[in-house]
Amino acid sequence: MTRASASINGRIIEIEKNETILKAARRLSIDIPTLCYSDKIQHEGGCRMCLVACAGSPRPVAACHTYLTAGMTINTHTPELENLRREILKLYLSEDGCSSLPGDDSGTKFGLLLGSYGITGAWPGKQTQAVDTSNPYLRFNANNCITCRLCLNTCEQIQGQFVYGVAGRGAATRLLLGMTNQFADSPCVTCGACVDVCPTGAITDCDRQDQRQADIKTQTVCGYCGVGCRLEVEALAGVVLRIKPVEDAIVNQGHLCLKGRYAHTYHHSSERLTQPLKKVDNKFEPISWEEALDLAAQKLIEITKIHGPSGLGALSSSRSTNEAAYLLQKLFRCLIHTNNIDCCARVCHSSTALGLQLMTGAGAASASYIDIEKASCIVLAGANPTAGHPVVGARIKQAVLRGASLILIDPRSIELADYADLHCQLLPGTNVALFNGIAKVLIEEDLIDTCYLENRVEGLEELKSFVKELGIEEISAITSVDQDQIVATARLIGKSGPVLFIHGLGLSELTQGTGSVMAFCNLGMLTGSIGLPGAGMLPLRGQNNVQGNADMGGMPNLVTGYQSLVEPKTRKKLELIWGCAPPIKPGLTIPEMIDAAAMGDVHALWIQGEDIVQSEPNETHVREALAKLDFLIVQELFFSETCQYADLIFPACAALEQEGTFTNGERRIQHVHPAVPAPGEARPDWLVIRDVGLRMGANWKHNSPSDIMDEIAQVAPDYFGGISYSRLQPDGLQWPCPAPGHPGTSSLHESKFMRGKGKLACIDYSQSPEHGIADFPFLLVTGRLLEHYNVGTMTRRTPNQLMVSEDVLNIHPEDAGKYKILDGQKVKLTSRWGSTIVTVTSSRRIAPGTLFLSFHFPETHTNRVTGPHHDPQSKCPQYKAIAVRVEAIN
Amino acid sequence: MNPSLDKLTQSHARRYWQTHHGTRSPLLQVHEAIRKQHGSLNAEEIRELSRQVGMPESTVLSIISYYADLHGPRQSLRICRGTSCNLAGAEQVQPKLEKQAPCREVYCLGHCYQGPAALDKTDQVLVGEDLFSIDNAAEPRQRPPAAMPSIRCLATRAIVTKRAARDVYSFEQAQAEGVYSSFRRCLKASPVKIIETLEQAGERGRGGAGFSTGKKWRSCAESRADRRYVIANGDEGDPGSFIDRVLLENDPHGVIEGILLCAYAVGATQAIVFIRSEYPKAIQRMQSAIGATYKAGILGADAAYPLEISIFPGMGSYVCGEETAMLNAIEGLRGEVRIRPPYPAQAGLYGKPTVVNNVETLVNVAAIVAEGAQAYAALGTKASAGTKAMCLDHGFAQPGIVEVEFGITIRQLIESAGGAANGKPLEAVILGGPMGSLLLPDQWDVEVCYEAMAKSGIQLGHGGLVALQTGTNYRKLLEQWLKFMIDESCGKCVPCRLGPKQALIALQDDKTTGNRKDVITKLLGVIEQSSLCAFGQYMPSPIRKLLVVFGDRIFDQRYGE
Repeated sequence: MTRASASINGRIIEIEKNETILKAARRLSIDIPTLCYSDKIQHEGGCRMCLVACAGSPRPVAACHTYLTAGMTINTHTPELENLRREILKLYLSEDGCSSLPGDDSGTKFGLLLGSYGITGAWPGKQTQAVDTSNPYLRFNANNCITCRLCLNTCEQIQGQFVYGVAGRGAATRLLLGMTNQFADSPCVTCGACVDVCPTGAITDCDRQDQRQADIKTQTVCGYCGVGCRLEVEALAGVVLRIKPVEDAIVNQGHLCLKGRYAHTYHHSSERLTQPLKKVDNKFEPISWEEALDLAAQKLIEITKIHGPSGLGALSSSRSTNEAAYLLQKLFRCLIHTNNIDCCARVCHSSTALGLQLMTGAGAASASYIDIEKASCIVLAGANPTAGHPVVGARIKQAVLRGASLILIDPRSIELADYADLHCQLLPGTNVALFNGIAKVLIEEDLIDTCYLENRVEGLEELKSFVKELGIEEISAITSVDQDQIVATARLIGKSGPVLFIHGLGLSELTQGTGSVMAFCNLGMLTGSIGLPGAGMLPLRGQNNVQGNADMGGMPNLVTGYQSLVEPKTRKKLELIWGCAPPIKPGLTIPEMIDAAAMGDVHALWIQGEDIVQSEPNETHVREALAKLDFLIVQELFFSETCQYADLIFPACAALEQEGTFTNGERRIQHVHPAVPAPGEARPDWLVIRDVGLRMGANWKHNSPSDIMDEIAQVAPDYFGGISYSRLQPDGLQWPCPAPGHPGTSSLHESKFMRGKGKLACIDYSQSPEHGIADFPFLLVTGRLLEHYNVGTMTRRTPNQLMVSEDVLNIHPEDAGKYKILDGQKVKLTSRWGSTIVTVTSSRRIAPGTLFLSFHFPETHTNRVTGPHHDPQSKCPQYKAIAVRVEAIN
Repeated sequence: MNPSLDKLTQSHARRYWQTHHGTRSPLLQVHEAIRKQHGSLNAEEIRELSRQVGMPESTVLSIISYYADLHGPRQSLRICRGTSCNLAGAEQVQPKLEKQAPCREVYCLGHCYQGPAALDKTDQVLVGEDLFSIDNAAEPRQRPPAAMPSIRCLATRAIVTKRAARDVYSFEQAQAEGVYSSFRRCLKASPVKIIETLEQAGERGRGGAGFSTGKKWRSCAESRADRRYVIANGDEGDPGSFIDRVLLENDPHGVIEGILLCAYAVGATQAIVFIRSEYPKAIQRMQSAIGATYKAGILGADAAYPLEISIFPGMGSYVCGEETAMLNAIEGLRGEVRIRPPYPAQAGLYGKPTVVNNVETLVNVAAIVAEGAQAYAALGTKASAGTKAMCLDHGFAQPGIVEVEFGITIRQLIESAGGAANGKPLEAVILGGPMGSLLLPDQWDVEVCYEAMAKSGIQLGHGGLVALQTGTNYRKLLEQWLKFMIDESCGKCVPCRLGPKQALIALQDDKTTGNRKDVITKLLGVIEQSSLCAFGQYMPSPIRKLLVVFGDRIFDQRYGE
C-alpha cells in the first residue's frame, strides 16, 4: 500500500505524522521564509511570513502551524504570496515612511529578508532608546526590535526563565525586557539563548558584536560543571573569540549557560602561570621544564627512600582529563608504591559513590540526563541545579512546564521551588530522617512496587520492620517538615510510577552523607524506579571530570574501573600491563592525607589542579598541614592559595587547551580537543606526569592521550573495553562499554542490579555533631552561585566578576530583623572552628534559623568556619550544616 | 531528531505559574490589588505585586498593560464607544462628560437599544437623554435602573427568552419556574445521554462560529484527562448585541443549569463564568445566583453532582471573547489567541479538556433535554435547529431582543421591528458586530441560518443588528471601526498588529500619497489574508464593503466633516 501523500509546489510528498507544512517543505529543500519560527520552540505563528496557498482554503495558511495532511495541494511561492509577504514586511517600516534611509544592511536575518523582497525605507525607525549595557555580556537595542518574540519564547521554552514580556496591544505592542529594559534588572541568567535566535540584532552580546571572523573552529567539551555540554569554540590567532553550543549535542541540545558560553577570558588572563616555578628562599623563581621535571623526579624518589612510600601522596584533579588522572594514580601506585591517591570527589560525592556502590553495585548515576525529559515525577534533593548545573536546571524546568511533577527536598527555597509541586524545606542535615519517613508512608500505604522488589531487591522485610518503629510525628519534629507534607510527598512519589531521583551535595556533604544517599536510594528501589526509563538515581556530579577521576582510580581503595586492590586476577592483569601491582593496603583519603601531613607522617604531596586551602573544610588546619610538608608539587593554571605552600609549580593547560577525555555525570566519556594554544610554556598534565614518570625509571610508551585511553581500556575492560578515541565522535560513549561494538549504557541496572540483587538499607537517623550547639543558634549551609565556579579561580578572572564580586551570606529577613542586621552590612560569622567577616543579604529563599554562604572568593575564607566533621564511611566533610552565630559589625 | 525536542513540539509548554491548578488565578490577584489602588502603580509597587502573586515582573507589567481595566484610570466614567453608541452620538457627548469627570472609552456596555450609554464610577448605567443632560458626572446620585430591552418572540415558542423577559433571578423564583428540574432528571441517566440528545437536536453554538454543541461536548468527554473544565462565555463584546447580558442578569439560573448539564455530560468538576467587566450588573446578579445555588446544595463538593462554579471578570479586552484568548486570560496571561489545534475541547484550560460555550448556547440546553431532541429539531431549519435571539439597536423603530426561529429573513426581521427609528429610510444594517457583515437592502432576503448565510459569505456572528440610517457619517464610521481594530488587536500577529494603524494613517494623514481608498483597501486585504485569528480575518470584509458602497461619501470632504 502506498502511503498517503500531498503535493507541495507540484511535487508529491509522503505524509509523515504530525509534520507541519514548513517541515515537510524542508524535506523537499523548499525554503519558506520565517521570522518568528525556531525548530526548538512551539510555533508562535505571529510573523505570517510562512503563509502558503492551500487549495480549497479561503485564505493562505501558516506553514509553521498547519499540519500537512493527505491530499493537500500546497504552493509556497506564488506571485500573490510573495506580494503578500512583501506587504507584511512593509508594515514594519516606520510610520513616517518618508525617510530616505536605506533598509537594514547589518546582515541580520531580518535585514536579509527585507533585502530579498527589495524593501528599502526607514528601518529601524527613530533611534530614540539607549542601548542597554547593564550586563557585562548581553546588549539590548530596543530600536531594532520587531517584537517577533523569538527571544521570549526561547527564554521560556529553552531556559525556563521569564525575562521577557510583551507590553500593550495593537500597534503599541512592544517587547519588555524585565521591567526597565535592562538585563541587570531582570531575572536574566545570561544563558545567551536569545542572542542565538534574535533575527534583527536587537539582542546581541559582546562576543558577537566583535564581528571578526575566526581562523579556527573547534568542537570540544565545556570545562566547568559535570553536565559536560559540547561547545563550538571560535578562535582567532590563538584567542577565543566566541563560544557557541553545538546544536545537535545530545547533552546540551544547543543550549549553554553563562559560564560555558561567556566565561572564557580566564584562558588568556595575564595571571596565568606560564613557566615552571621553584621556591627558593620563600620566593618563586622560573626554571626550565627540564630542571623542573628532574627536580620532581629526584625529590619523589628521595622522599620515598627516606620516609617510605606511605610518606607521599597525590590529589588528582577533577578538572583535568581522564588520561592525566589515570597516569597520576599509575605513577603513585606503580613507581612510588603507595595507594595514597585521592581526588576531590572525596569532598563532594564520595558519599554518593559509596552509598550507591553498596546498594546497587555501581557508584554512579543509574540514569541519564535524557531521563529528565522522560520522567513523570522528579524528586530533587539537596541540589540547586539552576546555579550549579544550569543546563540540567533548565531541562528540569522544561520537564515540569511540560507536565512532570517536581518534589523539592532542600533547606533552601531555591529557584526551582517556584516550579515544584511540593517543597519539603527540611532542617539541614536531617535527610535520613525525612527519607525514612517517606519510606514508612510508602510501605504502610502500600505505594511500593511489590513485583520489582520481589524480583530484584533484598532486605524488604528488614526495612519494613525498621520503619514500623519510626514515628512520623518525631520525624516531623527532627526535620521541621509538617507531617502532612511528608505524607503528601510520599503519596505523590508513590502514585507517580517510576520516579527520577536527582540529588546533589546537600545529601553527601554531611556526617550522614552516605546514609542520606542510601536512604534516598531506598526510595528509588521501593518505587521500582532504578533501571527504568525516565527514572532512577541521577546524582549531579560537580566538576567536568569528577566522575572520570574516580573511574580512573583516583581513589585510595580501588584501581581503575573500580577494581579491587586485593583481587588476584586484577593484580595479575596489572602486573602484566603495568609491570607491577599496587600495594594491597588501601591508601589515605584527602582528609587523612592532610591530617597525616599535619602529624608529620606524610612528607610530600602532588596536588594537581585543586586549591585545597580554599576548598577543604577547616582552612586553618589545612594551611598548617601544607606548611609542614617537605615537598609540595602543585600543577595549576593560576597562583592559587595552595601555591603559596608549593616547592615546585607546574603551569598547566586549561580546558580549551588540551586533548583528552572528560566523563560527565551521566558516565559519558567525551572527547576534548584543544581549541587554543596554552600560554607560554604551560603543558598538559598528562605529559608532565609522563615525563616525571620516565625520569623515575618508568618504561611508559604513551605518546598521546589516545595511547593512554587504549591502555585504560585494557586495564578495565568491563567498564571501558570498548572505548577508543576513534569511537568518541560526536557525543562520546556512556560506560559501561565493555567491547568495541558495544553502544554504551544509558541506564544502569536495566534488567538486574550490577550488585546482583539491590540491597535496601536500614539507616538510623543520628544527629550530626553540628546540631543543637549552645550559643551557635544558626545552621550554615555553604554552596555555589550561578555566576561562579567552585573556588572561583576561573570565573573570578572573567567579566562574571562584575556580576558578583563577593560572596554573599543569606539570612532570612526575620532573623535579620531579630539581630538588627541590615542588607549590605558586614557581619562576623563564627563557628566553633573559626570565624570570618562577610556581607549580608536578606533573602526569603532561606528558612529562619538557617544561613547560606557561598565560597567562591578566597578573601571570604568560608572554610575557616566549616569544621572537622566528616562522614565516617566516605570521609566526606560536613559542609552543609555548620553551627554558627552572627554578629553585626559597626 | 532529539527525543526531548520532539516531545517539546508536541506538548504544550506552560509558564510555571500556570502549572498550579486550583489556586486562584494570578491575574485575579493582580486585578484585585489594582482595584484597591487609586492611581496607577509605580515601579516599586509592581515589583511588590509580582512578589505577592509569584509572577515575574515583566509578566505582571505585560498583563497590566494589556488589559484596559488594569491600566486605565479607575475612578472614571466609562463611555461606550461601540458602533451603536457612536451612531447615537457618543462622540458628541464625550467632550462634555470629560469636563465633568475622568472618562474612559469602552466597547461595549450592551445597551445598544438605548444608546449612547455610560457607566458611572458606582457602576450605574446612564443612557440616552440622561447622558446628554447630566451635569455632575463626577458625583453620581442614585438613579432608577436603566430600562431592560423589550423582548419579543416571533418563534412558535420561546426557548431562550422564556424567563429573561420576566427577570427571574432569585433562586426561589427560578426553581418555581422549573429551572434545575431538567438537570435533576438528567442525573438519573448516563451523562452520554445528554450529549446524544444534543447531537440529535442539532444545537449549534451561538457565539458566532456555529459549531455543533453536542460534538464539542463529546470531544471533551472523550479526551483522556484527570480533570475537565466548563467555561460559560459571557464576554459578549460585539457592539450591537446584548442578549447575553440580559440572560446573565435576568435568567442567571438558566445559565447555571446549562453549566451543570454540560459539566455532568463531560465530567467536569470546575466551571468558570467569564463575564466582561462592562456588565457589572450581570456579574453581581450571577454572583448572587451562584451563591444561592451553593446554599441550596445544588453546587459544591457535597452536591449530587459535585461542581464548583466561580466568576472570572473580563478586564477590558474584546479579543478575550475568543475562546483561546479567554483561556489565556484565566491562566493569568495576556488575552492573546492560541493557535488551534489543539482545540480547547481537547487541551484547553491548564491544558485540560475544556468546553467553552456561549451563555445563550447554554441556556438552550435545559430546554432541549426537557422537551426532547425531536421537538427542538423541529424548530428552525434543517441545519440550523432551534431559535436565535436577535438584538436590534436603537436605530430601529422597535429596538430590543427578538427571538426568532432560524429561517426567518433579515427583511422580515427588520419589518417586524417597524424599520428604522423616526421613520427614516435604512441604507444598510451591520449584522453580527464589527467582524460580521454589512448588508444592503438587496441582501435582506437572506435567511437567518448558518448554511444559507455561509453560502452568501455572510457572518451571523452573535445576531446583533445595527441600523445605518440615511445621513450616517460613513467616514466617522470607518474611522471608528479602524480605531476599534487598533485598540483591540491583541498584538500577536503582525498584520493585525500593524496594519490597522497604517490604514488609519492613510485615511487621516495629508501626506498619504496615491488613492487613499486603494491604499486602505490593499491594507485590509493584507490583514484579511494573513491574520492569525478571526479578528483580523473577518473584520476587513465589512469595512471593505463600506469602502466600496460608501467610498464616495467617505472620501468626499462634503460628507466627510
